[in-house]
Amino acid sequence: MPYTKRRRLVRTAVAIALGATTLAACGSQSADGDTESGPASLTYWTWTPGMDKVVDLWNKGPGKKDRITVTVKKQASGDTLVTKILTAHKAGKAPDLVQAEYQALPTLVSNDALADISKNAGEAEGKFADGVWQQTTLGTDAVYAVPQDIGPMMFYYREDLFKKYGLTVPTTWDEFAETARKLKKAAPEKDLTTFSANDSGLFAGLAQQAGAKWWTTSGDRWKVAINDAATQKVAKFWGGLVKEGAIDNQPMYTPAWNKALNTGKQIAWVSAVWAPGTLTTAAPDTKGKWAMAPLPQWSASDNSTGSWGGSSTAVTTDSEHRAAAAKFAAWLNTDSEALNALAKESGIYPAATNAQTSGAFLKPPAYFANQADFYTKAADIAETTAPSAWGPNVNVAYTTFKDAFGAAAKSKSDFGAALDEMQADTVADMKKQGFEVAE
Amino acid sequence: MSSLAVPQTEPVAGSTPGTAQGRPPLRRRIALIPTVTLLLGALYCLLPVAWVVIAATKSGRELFSTFTFLPGTGFAGNVRDLNAYRDGVYWQWMANSALYAGLGALLSTCVSAISGYALAIYRFRGRETLFNVLLAGVLMPPVILAVPQYLLLAKADLTDSYLSVLLPQILFPYGVYLARIYAAAAVPADVIEAGRMDGGSEWRIFTRIALPMMIPGMVTVFLFQFVAIWNNFLLPYIMLSDDEKFPITLGLFTLLEQGANTPALYTLVITGALLAVLPLVALFLVIQRFWSLDLLSGAVKS
Amino acid sequence: MKSTARRRSYGVKGAPYAFLVPATVLFALFFALPIGYAVWLSFRKVQVSGLGLGSGARKEVWAGLENYTDALSDSELLHGTLRVLGYGCIVVPVMLGLALLFALMLDSEKVRLAPVTRLAIFLPYAIPGVVAALLWGFLYLPDVSPFYFVLDRLGMPQPDLLDGGPLFLALSNIAVWGGTGFNMIVIYTSLQAIPAEVYEAAKLDGATPLQIALRIKIPMVSPSLVLTFFFSIIATLQVFNEPTTLKPLTNSVSTTWSPLMKVHRDAFGEGDIHGAAAQAVIIAFATLLLSFGFLRAANRRQKQEAAR
Repeated sequence: MPYTKRRRLVRTAVAIALGATTLAACGSQSADGDTESGPASLTYWTWTPGMDKVVDLWNKGPGKKDRITVTVKKQASGDTLVTKILTAHKAGKAPDLVQAEYQALPTLVSNDALADISKNAGEAEGKFADGVWQQTTLGTDAVYAVPQDIGPMMFYYREDLFKKYGLTVPTTWDEFAETARKLKKAAPEKDLTTFSANDSGLFAGLAQQAGAKWWTTSGDRWKVAINDAATQKVAKFWGGLVKEGAIDNQPMYTPAWNKALNTGKQIAWVSAVWAPGTLTTAAPDTKGKWAMAPLPQWSASDNSTGSWGGSSTAVTTDSEHRAAAAKFAAWLNTDSEALNALAKESGIYPAATNAQTSGAFLKPPAYFANQADFYTKAADIAETTAPSAWGPNVNVAYTTFKDAFGAAAKSKSDFGAALDEMQADTVADMKKQGFEVAE
Repeated sequence: MSSLAVPQTEPVAGSTPGTAQGRPPLRRRIALIPTVTLLLGALYCLLPVAWVVIAATKSGRELFSTFTFLPGTGFAGNVRDLNAYRDGVYWQWMANSALYAGLGALLSTCVSAISGYALAIYRFRGRETLFNVLLAGVLMPPVILAVPQYLLLAKADLTDSYLSVLLPQILFPYGVYLARIYAAAAVPADVIEAGRMDGGSEWRIFTRIALPMMIPGMVTVFLFQFVAIWNNFLLPYIMLSDDEKFPITLGLFTLLEQGANTPALYTLVITGALLAVLPLVALFLVIQRFWSLDLLSGAVKS
Repeated sequence: MKSTARRRSYGVKGAPYAFLVPATVLFALFFALPIGYAVWLSFRKVQVSGLGLGSGARKEVWAGLENYTDALSDSELLHGTLRVLGYGCIVVPVMLGLALLFALMLDSEKVRLAPVTRLAIFLPYAIPGVVAALLWGFLYLPDVSPFYFVLDRLGMPQPDLLDGGPLFLALSNIAVWGGTGFNMIVIYTSLQAIPAEVYEAAKLDGATPLQIALRIKIPMVSPSLVLTFFFSIIATLQVFNEPTTLKPLTNSVSTTWSPLMKVHRDAFGEGDIHGAAAQAVIIAFATLLLSFGFLRAANRRQKQEAAR
């Protein structure tokens, strides 16, 4: 049975019930000159928990007015959903709306599965940070999706144990390495963190922070730079730490990993804004003992982060009501009522910038009650997200990552070689498919 | 392709298999070695299952923090959470699984029985070829069949329906093979001949005489196919998009893959899995009784 | 009288064909057609032009044998096959040996607790794969495993189960644990079909239960053994669940550990249904050769024994 324990879904621990339904300002979407009329019944594939309740708001409110009804079909997240969408598309039976991770958009667009909705949802652009919006246009004039949630990366650490071992919060990666070594010296059985090869999104985010641009286009050609200088720097850094034994090399999301976090065997985690949700499950006994800080930087003057996870709402080319579907997608991800409900019911961290510091995000997540400014800080960090550059076969790069880096982490060998393998496999696959690739 | 030998064990009419008569009384004690061997085997198989039972009693907090085989205190809470999840959709998944597996296995057993019987009893042109071709169906990995099956069912507009999961699982090559073996072993040729002499039609002979003799084998086929459909994941995953139609495996998978922002995630999956095993245990207990049925009761009567 | 006799003989002749209609129709619709479609897919590929964005950038074209030559020259597929053969050499004999042993024990006289133990041994078969990964995580990972806890207390060495040679044992254990009950029941059911008279005589001659098992019971259930062996070989070559279960727990199991995992990765992870179909056809063909080769050998042997 295909079964991955990956949880790239962006999540926050907004399990707190929303007392105030604020954000009354910021009126809902305007009539966009949509000439399409008549009732439309749309289906929506999403894995976001609680989405049916959010969609109910639409069906009873704006949707009722426009006679556009949306039905949620709950899916499992994960790599295989893209294949499922593509299979359905091949049979002409893809749903009207799908949830898609940002890095999957080029694959879906390349298969002609996603419709250009710039006419109906283009004006939502202003509600999002440039770097986020750009992921949905793929650098073209078209708009293929509306951003829903994002996963800016951050550094999480055990405040109490850092104090106990006399560690300071690292602001650069050099300091991070020193911190790991210092901890090893003070408590040899403990690890600062682990390098996990079972989630490619983490590594992609770290590379993104370092300034890597894995896929770019020039004219009619793709340029693949997975082993560019920035990514090599990242790979060598983590490979070095694993090799010298300063950090652990076992995968995340195993029972052993959960226990290591819960018992303080691992005392830090490079993660994203959704980490509180994961920590609530993985390390319930250490609630209130963690703190969040910006990701360490490559040089003291830098200020940037990568993103790990995040998804968007897209309209498929199989939809007979594209305008109506686009209207819903825009409402879902920009309307204040919808965003509030998404935070409350689904616990997602919104891509829309004005929602990041209001409503549910005025209070810190319950797990981080000790850090009152959690979401103010998170919003500041989110602003520093480096641009990302996805290509049409991210899936191939990601699976190669798992195998090549998994093997390298296991044998504590050269991560640079694993990175070269990732580059070579990705380019070979693109060429095989017939993409024009610049050398 | 070679032909598969199905030996004709000719049971002697009127015997009671599996039971011995007139045993010397001095051996009337527990057979020690077999009992101990079986207990060891049961222990080996139950130990990991015991983990599922124990883990289901743990709350989310206890799951990763207490000793593996130490029972927890959260079972009632876990069941309550499971009940509350999406307005009790879990029970809908259970009902769906029961429908897919129950109806599917029943139809599958009927098809297996009738095909296995035909292949075992009759001599006809193309028999071995047909049998080998049916059997070769198991050679193609299901992973690769699922996508073509989806595309073909999409042409018939059947995807995302109960039928799309039910229909592809009715033919069970393994079941046909088992049925052939049992029919060959349990239905003696002279019983069939006797039936024909009495003027019964072929269909009547099959349903009235042969089928009762094949019951223990068919019960096994039913059990296997029931479990296979109950645990099948890939086919419903590809075919269905509406979670009201999901079987339990797919439902549990979505529970696990929707992300960890629901803190009770693991405990829900484990508790859900434990409850999902219970119907299988019940089925097994019912089915056990049929294995010791007197194989030849039908023959004795005729 | 004459006419009824003729009609009946027609009935007898036509009956097997009529009886086999449902199976044939189902086979044609849900096996033959999809297999044919998969084979057709395996000769095609997707051709992208330019950047591959926008409509019309992707075309499905004829690929000839390209997918096959690619698959056969792929060293990962070969390595996967070798890994799986090594794994099969452990699993098949152990699993079938245990299944036969348990079946004979169940069938022996005056055994106690048979229904309970039978259920217990079959039960692992019913545990869904989603849960199996968590389960084995708790039993295999040193930090949470009760067995490591005991070993630690006893001061004994703690082997790394999820690496190198022990990894094969760890994987095999999952397969043996999950599959023994199934095979035990196949063998047990055919033991039940043996009439008692067959060994009544031997018993009167004073044969021990062991002798009866070896000389009478095992030969009598040999068709079932052949059957379980046949399906075990197929299951081994198509092994997917066990390594997929352990995959999230360790860096040692790659996404291409077994051939079928590679097929799954290519089809569902990388979206290359055409290449995956070609590999699946190759795996199916290899399985066909191996399993039917085995059946032919088993048949010949049986005939020789019968002739003696």
